[in-house]
Amino acid sequence: MTGKWRRWPFAAVFITAALLLIEALWIPVKAEMAQALMERAWSRVMRGESEARPWPWADTAPAGILELPERGIRQIILEGASGRNLAFGPAALNGVHQSDLVLSGHRDTHFRFLDELQPGERIRIQTTQSLREFAVTQFDIVDSRNRELVLDPSADRLTLVTCYPLDAAAAGGPMRLVVTALPLAAPDSDSRIARHYP
Amino acid sequence: MSTGSHSQEIRAGCPADPSIRDTLESDAWRRYPEFAHRRARLRGLPAGPDAGLRWHDRVLLILAIVLFAMILLRTETARADDFWGIELVSSTSQWNSMALETRMSVDVTGLVARVEVQQVFINQGSDWAEGVYRFPLPDGAAVDRMQIEVGNRIIAGEIRERQEARRVYQQARAAGQVASLLEQQRPHQYESRLANIGPGETIRVTIGFLCNVQWRDGSFSLRLPMTFAPRWDNHRASARIDPAPAPQLTVPESGHHRPLRLEFLLRTSLGYNSIESRYHDVDISLVPEGYRVALLDERDLPDRDFELTWTPELGAEPRAELLTWDGGDAVYAQLMLAPPLLEGLEPQAREVVFIIDTSGSMEGAPLNQARAALKNGLEQLEPSDAFNLIQFNSETEQLFDQSVPATDHHRALAREYLEGLQADGGTVMAPALEAALSLPALHGQFRQVVFITDGSVGNEPELLLQIAEQLEGSRLFTVGIGSAPNSWFMRKAAETGRGTHTHIGRLEDVEERMVSLWTRIRNPAVSDVCIDLGVDAEYYPEVIPDLYAGEPLWITARMPLLPREVFLCGQLNGQPWGLNARPRLSEGAEALATLWARKKIEALEDSIVYGADPDAIKSEVTDIALRHELLTRHTSLVAVDRTPARASDVTLGRASIPSLLPAGSTAASAGFPATATGWVAQVLLSALTLLMATGLYLFCGRRLPLSPSPAVDGTSLK
Repeated sequence: MTGKWRRWPFAAVFITAALLLIEALWIPVKAEMAQALMERAWSRVMRGESEARPWPWADTAPAGILELPERGIRQIILEGASGRNLAFGPAALNGVHQSDLVLSGHRDTHFRFLDELQPGERIRIQTTQSLREFAVTQFDIVDSRNRELVLDPSADRLTLVTCYPLDAAAAGGPMRLVVTALPLAAPDSDSRIARHYP
Repeated sequence: MSTGSHSQEIRAGCPADPSIRDTLESDAWRRYPEFAHRRARLRGLPAGPDAGLRWHDRVLLILAIVLFAMILLRTETARADDFWGIELVSSTSQWNSMALETRMSVDVTGLVARVEVQQVFINQGSDWAEGVYRFPLPDGAAVDRMQIEVGNRIIAGEIRERQEARRVYQQARAAGQVASLLEQQRPHQYESRLANIGPGETIRVTIGFLCNVQWRDGSFSLRLPMTFAPRWDNHRASARIDPAPAPQLTVPESGHHRPLRLEFLLRTSLGYNSIESRYHDVDISLVPEGYRVALLDERDLPDRDFELTWTPELGAEPRAELLTWDGGDAVYAQLMLAPPLLEGLEPQAREVVFIIDTSGSMEGAPLNQARAALKNGLEQLEPSDAFNLIQFNSETEQLFDQSVPATDHHRALAREYLEGLQADGGTVMAPALEAALSLPALHGQFRQVVFITDGSVGNEPELLLQIAEQLEGSRLFTVGIGSAPNSWFMRKAAETGRGTHTHIGRLEDVEERMVSLWTRIRNPAVSDVCIDLGVDAEYYPEVIPDLYAGEPLWITARMPLLPREVFLCGQLNGQPWGLNARPRLSEGAEALATLWARKKIEALEDSIVYGADPDAIKSEVTDIALRHELLTRHTSLVAVDRTPARASDVTLGRASIPSLLPAGSTAASAGFPATATGWVAQVLLSALTLLMATGLYLFCGRRLPLSPSPAVDGTSLK
């Protein structure tokens, strides 16, 4: 009799923890699955379909490809860095066709490689309009509470943003890792377009 | 000791059942007090002083503390501030040099201030050095003029077409000249690099920038950051130069006070209730252009920000002020329409229609912010107001068929409805806008549509057109949610809808921003404003918004000729209203032309969205930018060596480099989105919890069968 009532809280804790575990594991699974589905949608985008939804109830469509040839990484980029988009892939903060392109991604799914990047490493961005190649030039760690990203419509560069530190225990920390890459082929790519923050 | 007394003490909380078993139990407890404790704890009875926490609670608590400490330890701190002034680097050392003298002149025309700063430095080292000049800029400032004199070399900034600027730079570099670098990437800092500063040489830096005057709570204010900052950045020096030299302070001859001279010109024809300097003693005098403000103490230091606040005098009627400047080819003008005092306005009953975006992109924090903003809006309604609530994603849903009075009951219904909102589906905005704008009109009530969204749509031109067509008497106020909403669309939508745009980036800002929006729109002073600036006048904004209590309205115009009078009309308190504004010519107010050119370029660039030819627009923008010396996407500030011709001295050569300034002062910035899911931590924590729950269960399961039989316990413990 005493044993019976004692079992209930354990069962509750057990079930809650199991549900939480499933929910947490669903995040990386979703991240991978969405990429696979969007890869198919992307081929439809490239065939000229304007609103190629990767799944019927999606509020988003693939907008481009992020490729790191040296690492064999290939990811579909989404338009608009909303929380939902970031769950599916790296997302462009202010438009994927901007010359000052800013991509953000989750540090524990798509962008977990970000702190392993080496200066000079090549990054390729493909959109429906262009194919651009960049080389990593700069790493910054900034506090998002007192810094913002300057979006400079005249700068030709790629900025990758994720949370820092990449292996922090809890989500929602204020620090960000910002990786800047400058175009490879540009004639004056050494005219310093360093990333700064207001 | 007696067995009886012990058993009574232990059994205090138990149902009395004096039996042989109890006696046996109490005997075991007396001999094995540790067992007694555990038994009592398992039954949930108090036993001893530390009975409040079970051991597994303690384990959990320790785990939580460890986790919390981990989070705290991993949080990095922000970097040190930059040094303002010149940072000099020679081959052997590095030191900072503060300005010996600072002169500032500020010329305020309406909402824009033209600031010119001149600072003088000396290279007090004994070596040739390279310098980095840094100057703090106020919010939204754009540097468009610069000149640096080092010894007898002069490097001046010029606005050039972007491609040409690049060519100039590359030529210079190919010729092996030493490049000087000129940068302004962040809106809050100006930075310029100079090479080859000789020992003892004087460096004179002049920069000019435009910045916006702030309007808040009935007053204008302008805050200019100053440069005197006695802090030294040791670790930066040591990171760059090895071995690290001790930073040298450039101590000038005794009696040198690094003075600040500041002159402020307020161009106006309106009377001011007050002009106040917050941190400095100033002298205010009346001049033909308006007011002149100067520092009282000629030897004041630039060690604190300068902030000036001026409050226009409002009357019972709206008042207008028309400042003009003759640019030769045309007359440039800025019209300020000041609202009447609040007492002069009759409150108007309104119908407020809230539209909330519940598409998938609003999931999480954005929806919470939107919900908070809307709840705040509901609270601010007057009982005489009517309201309605519409949500949309792929579908549009309307809470009430017809707008209802803002009674407590209706508000409670709306709040309940808000709680149930879920973000999912696509963003189909058109039907929601149509639903709001085509609600049956309520008699005598002024419709205000408050549109809360992140604006992630792809068909902006059609939506703007729809707003223009369906607006009629309504007004549209957009509230942008999230770290990087589509602010272009929302600003334009508000402009087309004759309303205003508010951006809420964080949940903490909701209340402040919504209250400010609410105070602004609660009291429309003059609606349906029209203006007659004469034939061929070009003015911005193209759609003139309403005039609200407590906030002036600004119109920037370019006219072929100076008109004798400008006629304004509109509706005041439901009655037709009209006013004649007399222009005032102001000498040296070329900021008016700059202001107009900025608006014109903005309008031209917007027209691309509506289908104008981008190449034609580009050449037109470049044209205007070059004529008015503006930084845009197509023009750059180039440092050109203006040194008088000398013998070909290679070390004195100066190259030019395109500046990297964002287009004009429209340097947009965006917050950082949240970029962590924390799933690993959640997996670990939930797995740990699972393990512990299993462990606890197994542990207790093993003990449970033992407890009913104390005899066995007794033996096992022996």
